Amino acid sequence: MAIGWAEIFCQFLVGISRSMILFIVCAGLSFILGVLRVPNIAHGSLYMIGAFATFSISKMIGGTYGFWVALALAPLLVVVVSLIAERLLFCHLYQREHLMLILFTFSVSLILGDLVKIVWGAEYRSVSPPEILKGSISLLGASVPRYNLFLIIIGPLVGIALWLFTTRTKIGKISRAAAVDREMVGVLGINVSWVFSFAFLVGCYLAGIGGALVAPTVSITLGMDHTLIIEAFLIVIIGGLGNMWGALVGSLIFGVTHSFGVLFWPQFAIVFPYMSVVIVLLLRPRGLLKSVW
Amino acid sequence: MKRILWVSSLCLWGVIITLICLPFGAKAQGPIKIGIVDTYSGPPTTYTYDVRDAFKLAIDEVNAKGGVLGRKIEFTTRDDKFKVDICLSMAKELIMMEKVDILMGTINSAATLAVSEYCKGEKIPFIVTFSKSDKITGEKGHRYVFSVTENTAMIGKAAAAGLAKRPYVKYWIAGDDYEYGHALADGVWGNLKRLKPDVQLIGQSWWKVGEPELTPYLTAISAAKPDAVIFATGGASMVNAMKAAKATGFAERIPMFIHTATEHSTLAPLGLDAPEKVIGTSNYHFYYPDTPKNKAFAKAFKDAYGREPKVGALYGYLAAQFITRALTKAGKMDRERFIDALEGMKVDSPVGEIEMRAYDHQAMLPMYMGVTKKVAGYPFLIATDIVTIPASEVMPSIEEIKKVRGQ
Repeated sequence: MAIGWAEIFCQFLVGISRSMILFIVCAGLSFILGVLRVPNIAHGSLYMIGAFATFSISKMIGGTYGFWVALALAPLLVVVVSLIAERLLFCHLYQREHLMLILFTFSVSLILGDLVKIVWGAEYRSVSPPEILKGSISLLGASVPRYNLFLIIIGPLVGIALWLFTTRTKIGKISRAAAVDREMVGVLGINVSWVFSFAFLVGCYLAGIGGALVAPTVSITLGMDHTLIIEAFLIVIIGGLGNMWGALVGSLIFGVTHSFGVLFWPQFAIVFPYMSVVIVLLLRPRGLLKSVW
Repeated sequence: MKRILWVSSLCLWGVIITLICLPFGAKAQGPIKIGIVDTYSGPPTTYTYDVRDAFKLAIDEVNAKGGVLGRKIEFTTRDDKFKVDICLSMAKELIMMEKVDILMGTINSAATLAVSEYCKGEKIPFIVTFSKSDKITGEKGHRYVFSVTENTAMIGKAAAAGLAKRPYVKYWIAGDDYEYGHALADGVWGNLKRLKPDVQLIGQSWWKVGEPELTPYLTAISAAKPDAVIFATGGASMVNAMKAAKATGFAERIPMFIHTATEHSTLAPLGLDAPEKVIGTSNYHFYYPDTPKNKAFAKAFKDAYGREPKVGALYGYLAAQFITRALTKAGKMDRERFIDALEGMKVDSPVGEIEMRAYDHQAMLPMYMGVTKKVAGYPFLIATDIVTIPASEVMPSIEEIKKVRGQ
């Protein structure tokens, strides 16, 4: 079979667009992991709630603006859910050991999964992309969906916003400081519990955005949380724990190797992203970029 | 005082004895009991609710006319949560505790095979309503199991018969990397190769079950420029594949075949966002065949439940018809006579007359191959250009059944 440069280029763009969704979700996961030291398995469930909420809101509003309103509101709903979870449960457990936290967040993910089933039922849901992003455009003879190009634009914007937040705002700087040395931040008279709560919500907000953005490209269904969270943890690990740019590099490696694997060796495409993870970990066991742990 | 105690204890005895005797006395004239074990939680409910609801509608109608053999029909459902072990214990509970006369279910092939083995031992008639493994009435078939649904062998034959009539030569196969996906792909491809030996398989892609993003797969397949693609997907991947086909414009450029792509269960959640021109097969459409019988069935279902019947509704309806007609023919609730009556029985249905083949207990269902299209007046896509592939072309031959059973 003849693969031209146009196909390779398009496949590259499609791979990057998938990476952008992974990046947004993983940046949130990594941020929580860095500041709070909580390996939050329930992060995938928040992403799922974001997707289901996008479905409900865009259906309720309807019309051309439905999706845009949902994109703005669904992540906020996720923040409300995570605020409740944080104040009721998480805030009491930050000092526990990691094994305990993994078990705890895993059980939270099961509870959230069942809540989704109660609220939205078990049927597949589907959100249509907004009118302007429907269909595909032809690039050098091969076609790329418009929505995927939109994702390639939105991903870096979210990245820049997060970077500005952590480097230019006071609360962002405190969060970063808490990631490096939380005792020191407490000694300076800053209310660490409050900082943690805020950082947690920022991370969850990103999971919500990821869920809202992925909604038009997939069938929204129970179980999408656990499919994602495994990939997300792998990405965060190869990128370097708690490092936002690491999450970006990890997502790009994951998305692009997958998409090229599919093009060149379709029978074994599933293996490629995991192979890349193994190779990275063999060469750099602590991740590609500097881990904050 | 003593006397009052005496009288009251006598009365109590009387009441207890009557209570004990009542069920026995009523048993002779009590209802005929049917047990349904199926998945009533999680994603499979998209399919199983329709089976149950159509079955109830048909049974209510029979009961309103006085039931069969002068007895009402009563049914009890159990949720197996799509798990083999739960399904088997629920089936046992229905048979031993609820004392059901006939068992029905399920949507999980592995669970169905397990329950089927159990029913064989207990000599309980078991009507399979949704599981697609061809082993159920093929290799593992026996006297007590019947199927009112299509199976992978039938799907393969139907798809091949339909595709062989089309001009495509270079094919690509893509699907979910699990048992159903591979069984479906092998079935379609084996039959197609036999009907049209010059077809070529130029490549394959398999993704993990539940893979969310299928766009890279479709762009890669486009690059290979096949004449047509056979998709072997089910469940949530159906919707993912259809969405990716729409977003990439894939369906516009390359003909794609997906079993059940034209089925209402797949098209309803997508609304008007489903791709057009996708070739699919299904046992049932609420708008086809355009006969008074089907129209009346679809209307009755919609009036009762406020939604259009999907393919499961046909299976539920068929199960009810076969059971009530066979009971009437048997003359009394005797399991062996019920089975004898059911073998070779023909019932009228929304898709015409359906025969329960005596040899392997497989209902002989026709298959409809159509193409998805937006049609004014429907808030979702429907199948058009429908070609009926008759049961005679769809059913595995009796020789094939004998061969897999090692006879």
